[in-house]
Amino acid sequence: MTTVTVKDQDPYGHGIGGWLSHVGAVLADLPTTYRRELTLHRRRTISLTVLVILLVTYPILNSAFLAGFSRTVFPLPLPDDTVVTFMMIFGIMAIGLNIVAGFAGLLDLGYVAFYALGAYTAAFLASSHWGSISIVFLANVAPGFPGIHLPFWIIVPVAILVAGTFGALLGAPTLRLRGDYLAIVTLGFGEIVPVVFRNLADVTFNFSLGPINIAAQHLNLTGGSLGINPIDAPFLPFADITFNASAGYAPVYLGMFLLVIAILFARNLERSRIGRAWMAIREDELAAEMMGVNTIRTKLLAFALGASFAGVAGSLQASYLGATTSDFFTFSTSILVLIMVILGGIGNIWGVLLGAVALTYVDKTFLPYIGQQVQQIAPSFPNPAQFNFLLFGVILVAMMRFRPEGFLPNRQRAAELAGAHTQAEVEAKVDEIVAVDAEAEVEAAIEADPIAALENLGPPPGQAEASGDARAAETIDEAKDL
Amino acid sequence: MDQVIQTFIIGLSNGLIFALVALGYTLVYGIIELINFAHGDLFMIGSMMAFFLISIFFKLTPDTAPITLVAVILVVIAAVMLATALINVTIERVAYRPLRNAPKLAPLISAIGMSFVLQNIANLLAGPANKSIDNLFPTTNLLSAFGITTVAITFQQAFVAIVTIPLLIALTWFVDRTKQGRAMRATAQDPDTAGLMGVDVNRTIALTFLIGGALAGAAGVVQILYNNVTVYNLGFRFGLNAFTSAVLGGIGNLSGAVVGALVLGQINAFSDRYLSANWTNAIVFAVLIGVLVFKPTGILGQQLADRA
Repeated sequence: MTTVTVKDQDPYGHGIGGWLSHVGAVLADLPTTYRRELTLHRRRTISLTVLVILLVTYPILNSAFLAGFSRTVFPLPLPDDTVVTFMMIFGIMAIGLNIVAGFAGLLDLGYVAFYALGAYTAAFLASSHWGSISIVFLANVAPGFPGIHLPFWIIVPVAILVAGTFGALLGAPTLRLRGDYLAIVTLGFGEIVPVVFRNLADVTFNFSLGPINIAAQHLNLTGGSLGINPIDAPFLPFADITFNASAGYAPVYLGMFLLVIAILFARNLERSRIGRAWMAIREDELAAEMMGVNTIRTKLLAFALGASFAGVAGSLQASYLGATTSDFFTFSTSILVLIMVILGGIGNIWGVLLGAVALTYVDKTFLPYIGQQVQQIAPSFPNPAQFNFLLFGVILVAMMRFRPEGFLPNRQRAAELAGAHTQAEVEAKVDEIVAVDAEAEVEAAIEADPIAALENLGPPPGQAEASGDARAAETIDEAKDL
Repeated sequence: MDQVIQTFIIGLSNGLIFALVALGYTLVYGIIELINFAHGDLFMIGSMMAFFLISIFFKLTPDTAPITLVAVILVVIAAVMLATALINVTIERVAYRPLRNAPKLAPLISAIGMSFVLQNIANLLAGPANKSIDNLFPTTNLLSAFGITTVAITFQQAFVAIVTIPLLIALTWFVDRTKQGRAMRATAQDPDTAGLMGVDVNRTIALTFLIGGALAGAAGVVQILYNNVTVYNLGFRFGLNAFTSAVLGGIGNLSGAVVGALVLGQINAFSDRYLSANWTNAIVFAVLIGVLVFKPTGILGQQLADRA
């Protein structure tokens, strides 16, 4: 290793002259810094643009070019319109669970409950379930049609409210529990909600309290195990588009629209004051509380906001499929979304999106296809599509053991998972990673151009100390001592 | 009144089976603070193995001679206990031990993965249909000997008690009286210090999984002989019942788990009888949530309260 000695002291001297030379150095650096930023920025912009174009044109590509291409060159089936719509739905769910589990570090094993609540919100507000009354408002049905029929555009905000409210209701008493207990409580909630929807199909009660008497005879609240159908499909009035399961790729764009809003919302949340509070809580709840973060309120907000994403996903799913039953909402769905989040990279929005797309593809296109092939060759062989959760279980165990931070990790989260088991060690681990990164960068730079590298290295020590960032200064000092 | 007593008896047999599984949860939680999510599915594997041994390998029928029946059942219990114990130790080795120093939620997630793996392996090997056997015991009412006919205790229910109670006593003896048991208690209190005092922590944890697995296997055999039916996803519901029992009694506390299981057995039986079997699961979960929220230390649990 090359030994380079540098003055640890302020390299620019003191006084006006020193300041001027410092400014000069910074200005001289600007083109390099700018160019680097620009390259990074441009690369990111280009890749995002390509991604968006691919996504938007996917339906056309799929039906015409890619279908033929895939048959000849790439012998795997491409996801069809239903699967792509579900990619969008699960994408929204994964982003929502990522807020709870990734940003705030609260393991929610009953996330499916909020998905169910969203779906049943749509079912209650846009179907003929309440056949004895007729409320039709801006919907694609004739006036006087039995049941409540509200447009999808009103149902989504209502679903957000309903799911968010239930998230807060569940969170309020439970969020002071420790991580693993919280996980089990949410699991219980996730199991109770579908059971309630399944069982409230025939309600008979007679309740008297003083002068008040409430009674019901065989009231069908939820449709029971048959569920509720048909549910009105989302409808765009002026363009006259119905987004139902037989509408081809139109629902994909609806899902994409909601997904983009979800992404923007989650990104802004992550970078906001709340997002930083979540991360502080995730790393060390006690320290966060000491620093003035209202931990209960912040965690509650994570729970409610995360739940509201599932509400959107649920209302979209029910409206798109036109039916809902409690059987859709099982523990395994909660776990499926959790695997998407873990596989992609817990805490990283793009990671969990990748997880959602990949896992939906595997679950709904790849495994059924393999199953079909297997059935043709060996009909008695078990169908892989029925054993998808064998694969997913193995994925969970293997990910926890070999790559707990996921494939597109969030750096800070990765540090916490990389063996930083006590809260105090998390910080040390982050430091370590920062230091290792800095050292690696410095080493690479030194090899390329020793003198320029050392002059370009971050802020000069004096400035770093002045900004109170002693850690960075130390790292740089250590690096310079190499 | 007779009906209430009858329900109570059913609840008691339920509770004794829950107790065997709940002990596995509480032992493991006591020692490494892991909610071993796969434990319920291990119990299911035990009952599946018992099903195959009883109905296909030994071909037991209600007409089998009593001596043979008792001997074969003892063999089945021993074999299944051994098998599930070894499976549990393997699971610990593969899925939990590498994560011992990871954040607490990592082994829990790994355990959930393991639970799905076990469930699907059972589905793959045995198929998704219910597996049922004939009732191997005489159907006479044991209480008729005392002239009681309105309330019944069947041979099946007596069998549950005959198998579980000695196992519970043996476990208590092992943990309280033997050297290995002391090592387990020491490790549960403080693994680092226990290690410094010469306790082989890895071995002790493996032993805990071995015992928990054996109890789950025994519970599996008892389950199939008592309910006469098993299915690949039985473990999820049953496991959550048992886990709720452990939490109810105070997780980490052995006698607490038994008390919790007996209470939960009654809750199950009375809910099935007087409300509706459709609601039983929801009620169990409500109990679980209620206990965790209002009294996380459970009925008897104190020891672990400050180890958060």
